[in-house]
Amino acid sequence: MTKHLIGLGVLLAVGMAYPAIFPNNLTVAISVLLFAGWATSWDLLGGWNGQVSLGHASFVGLGAYFVFIGQSQFGLAPWWTMAMAAAVAAVLAYFWGWLTFSLRGPYFSLSTIAVAEILRLVAINEEWLTGGATGVFIATLPEPFGVDLFSRTAQFYMALAFAAVVIATVIVISRARFGYQLRAVREDEDSAMAAGIDPTATKLKAFMLSAALTSIGGGIYGIVLAFIEPHVIFALLLSVQIALTAIIGGRGTIWGPAVGAIVLIGAGEMFRTTFAEANMLIYGVLILVVVLFVPRGIVGELARRHIRRLYAKRAQG
Amino acid sequence: MPNVLRADGITVKFGGVTAVNNVSLSLSSGEILGLIGPNGAGKTTLFNAVTGFAPMHSGRITLLDKDITALPAFKRTRLGFGRTFQTERPFEELTVLENVLVAAFLTAKRRSEAERLAMSVLEQVGLADRAHQPALDLNLARRRRLELAKALAVKPKVIFLDEIMAGLNPPALREMIVFVRSLSAQGLAVLMVEHIMEAIIELSDHVIVLASGEKIAEGTPQQVTSNERVIEAYLGTD
Repeated sequence: MTKHLIGLGVLLAVGMAYPAIFPNNLTVAISVLLFAGWATSWDLLGGWNGQVSLGHASFVGLGAYFVFIGQSQFGLAPWWTMAMAAAVAAVLAYFWGWLTFSLRGPYFSLSTIAVAEILRLVAINEEWLTGGATGVFIATLPEPFGVDLFSRTAQFYMALAFAAVVIATVIVISRARFGYQLRAVREDEDSAMAAGIDPTATKLKAFMLSAALTSIGGGIYGIVLAFIEPHVIFALLLSVQIALTAIIGGRGTIWGPAVGAIVLIGAGEMFRTTFAEANMLIYGVLILVVVLFVPRGIVGELARRHIRRLYAKRAQG
Repeated sequence: MPNVLRADGITVKFGGVTAVNNVSLSLSSGEILGLIGPNGAGKTTLFNAVTGFAPMHSGRITLLDKDITALPAFKRTRLGFGRTFQTERPFEELTVLENVLVAAFLTAKRRSEAERLAMSVLEQVGLADRAHQPALDLNLARRRRLELAKALAVKPKVIFLDEIMAGLNPPALREMIVFVRSLSAQGLAVLMVEHIMEAIIELSDHVIVLASGEKIAEGTPQQVTSNERVIEAYLGTD
C-alpha cells in the first residue's frame, strides 16, 4: 500500500514538473495520461474482475459528447457535464451488464462491441443533438480562475489529475473488501458464491465504476481534441487500444495499465515518426511478443517473479 | 437438540433423469451426518441442491426455521452455510491468506479484522506458515485444508464437506478425521459426503445411504453397514 502511494506521489511530482521541462511534448504526454487512466479504469472490470470489455470507447465518447453538447447547446461547464456523463455511463453499464452478465464466456466481451456501435449510430443520425457524422467543434469553454482550458498545459494537468484519481481508486480498492470480491469472482464464480459473494452484483459494480471513470477521461479527451467525430470517438479501434494497453501492461495489477500506456503510446509515437506506414506492423509484433512471452503483461510478470522470490527467500530462511 | 437444517422431499431432475428423488434430511448443531452411496448415487447432486449450487425440482429447505428454498447459494452462505468443493477450487492467483480473506470479508468490515479472522482460521487448519504462499503451489492435502479454511472463514452454522478425505495418505486422513470431530465439538453441524468408510464410521452420528437417487437406508453407522439393501447396493446381488 505505502509503496503504491509513493509511486503515485512520484507520478504527481514528475507530472507537476513535466510541462516546464518538456513544453513541446505535451500532446503525447496527454495521450499517455488519458490512456493510463482509461486502461486503469478498464482494468477494474477487465483485469481485477476478469470481464473483458471491447466497448469502452462508448464511455469515452459519452464523456466527450456530454461536454460538447452541454457547452454548445446549454452553456453548461465541462465539470458539470463530466459528472453527468459519469452518471449516465454508470446507468448504461448497469443496464448492459444486467442484460449480459448472465452470459458466461466470451459473450459479454462480444456484446460490448455493440454498445459503442449503437452509440456511434445514434451520434451519426441524431444530427440535431450531436452534429451528425461530420462531427462538431467546441468553440468556447469557461475559464475557471482564469485558466484557459484550450491551453495544452491546462489539458495536461486535467489528464494528470484524471490518471492519478483513477490509479488512487484502484490502490484503495486493491486492499479493500471490494477488491477481493472482484478477484474472487474472476477466479471462480462458484467458489466466490461459497464465500457469500454475489457474482452478478460484483460485476455490475465493477462495470459501473469502470464506465463512470472512463467517461470522465472522455470528457477531457473531448476538450483536448476540440473536434469530435462519431466514427473516431466510438471506434472499435479505440476500445481495442484501451483493452490492449491494460493487457500488455499487466491485467489486474495497479501499475500495469499505466506502464502499458507509456509503452504503447510511446512506441506508437516513435514508430509513427520512424517507420511511417509500417507502424501498425510493429505495433502488431509488439502485441504478439507480449502475448507469447509475457502473457501476464509487463508488470504482471514482474510482480509474479517478485512474489516468488520473496516466498523462496522466506521458505529458506 | 433443535434442528439447524432441514431438507424435505428434495428432488433434482436433469432433463428426464431423476438424479435425486424425494430425499429428506435434518441436522442439529454438533451433529455429523454422513452421506454415502455408490458412484452416481446422487450424493453430490443432493449436496449441491441443498447448498444452492444445483437447481431443485421440488423440496423445501429451512435453516434455523427460516425457509431458504428460493435463496441463491451466496445468500445461503450469508445465513450460515459453509462448503468445500470436491475438486478444490482455490483462487489460484491469490495467496493462501488472501484466499481466506475473501471469505473472512463476509463478516469482517475492516481489513485488519478480516486478516485476524483469516489468520486464526489458517492456524486452526495448520496453514498459518503458508499464509503468503501462492495458493496454486499447495499440494493436495494442503489444498484440502485451504478449502476447509475458506469454508470456516464465513463463520458457518452448517458446514458441508464434499469428499475432503479422498486421496489423502493415512496420516493426513487421520488428521482430517480428528479435525472434523473438533468442528462438531465446537457445535457446528456437519454434513459430509464421503467414500472413505473408515471416516464415515468413525465420525458420523447418523448416516444416509443413497443409491440411484433414492434414500435406501439411514441410521447409525453400525445399522447401515449391516443393512442388506446397502450391502446389495454396494456389492450387487449374488
